[in-house]
Amino acid sequence: MPTSRAAFRRAARQHFTDTSKKRGLLVAFEGPDGSGKTTQRKLFKTWLVSEGYDVVTTKWNSSDLIKPIIKSRKSVRALSPEEFSLLHGADFRHRVEQTILPALWDGKLVIADRFLFTGLARDVARGLDLDWVLKLYQPLLWPDLVFYFAVSPVTSGRRVTATRTPNFYEAGQDVTDVDDPVESYQRFIARVIREYESLALIFNMITVDAEQSIGDQHRQIRELFLEGRERPWSAWNADAVAEWLALGGAPR
Amino acid sequence: MNGVRTTTGGILIAVEGIDADAILKAARTALESRARGGISRWDASGVFQDLAVAESEAGTPSPRTLLLLYAADLAFRLRWQIRPALLEGRTVVAAPYTETAMAFGRAAGLPVAWLTNLFRFAPHPGERRFIHAPRQRASEITDGFVGFSCDRMTGGNRYKRQRRRLIDSAAAELRRTDKSSAARRPAARRRT
Repeated sequence: MPTSRAAFRRAARQHFTDTSKKRGLLVAFEGPDGSGKTTQRKLFKTWLVSEGYDVVTTKWNSSDLIKPIIKSRKSVRALSPEEFSLLHGADFRHRVEQTILPALWDGKLVIADRFLFTGLARDVARGLDLDWVLKLYQPLLWPDLVFYFAVSPVTSGRRVTATRTPNFYEAGQDVTDVDDPVESYQRFIARVIREYESLALIFNMITVDAEQSIGDQHRQIRELFLEGRERPWSAWNADAVAEWLALGGAPR
Repeated sequence: MNGVRTTTGGILIAVEGIDADAILKAARTALESRARGGISRWDASGVFQDLAVAESEAGTPSPRTLLLLYAADLAFRLRWQIRPALLEGRTVVAAPYTETAMAFGRAAGLPVAWLTNLFRFAPHPGERRFIHAPRQRASEITDGFVGFSCDRMTGGNRYKRQRRRLIDSAAAELRRTDKSSAARRPAARRRT
């Protein structure tokens, strides 16, 4: 096994560019609440499995290690924007190391229901500095494809509030100072969507019009995936993989 | 807030070190001559207490994960302990503050630029003291952020040599930080 960081980077490059092996693919689904990401993610997964892909799904704020820590603090509304950001960053890092990279290394297809862009959009909407937040997520792991499900704040609000009341942090009540969760949600989601739209441009996400029918969106995602899956492995990911290898991540 | 002293006269003193008992003792000493003050200790938010009871199946946290959690805990300490006390004009001793965690991060091979960014939200202390563990004792330390993190990363007693190397390296990094910050301090203020 290599020992220096440069050697680990070489090992990462070699592994992910070896054309004799099936390369792992990372596909992220991004967008505000109520944009229909989860529905599309499930349909996409079913289709991928029928096409013979070995699929692993990872969801935002779902690591066994950090999720309970976040959950207990959210329930007592004890998080400041910085704490909220840092804890979600820790959850993301743990999932990258424990779930995402091992699956990619094994040639699997990983679907991320929300990725680091969720952290960026929400944290910046809470008033934090984009540069500070983005650096928390270093070394960055770029997905092969990012689908951004675009909806208006009105549609997001209508879909979310149709069946339930948004919770305290989802409604951004920690930063809006609005007592009514529905009203707070409308204000907060408008900020989050503004940030998402900037990020979609900066990071070249594939925008899906999430106001379309479910079937039309699914067909579009399939087509875009088939076009995009042959993209070469991003060398930007070498640092993230090298650090994981250095920690003993890959099976020996 | 990015200040050292507040207009109300509060002052933040950082006591850095990998030995939790020794820095607590030093923090108490630092407060002796001051009428109103308090100590802000590691894990006031209970994040690491929660981590300690997590199932082993949840996976081993990496140095980055541990440092993100340390920063979250520090943000909690700043919000509930340090800033309110400074605003009341009191002295607060943060034991430890940012340099101990950064020394651990450097020992674990993390880039200085990432560590510096991580703690960008924390105000500079008015005074910083370093408490160094004797070299032969460093690897025996189990309490505090560095001891806890080294245990979590190396599985406690399972990888004793690896643990010792990491904790010794963190102690050495902290000595280096102390040396370089002493060199930057005006001669009159340097400790002998």
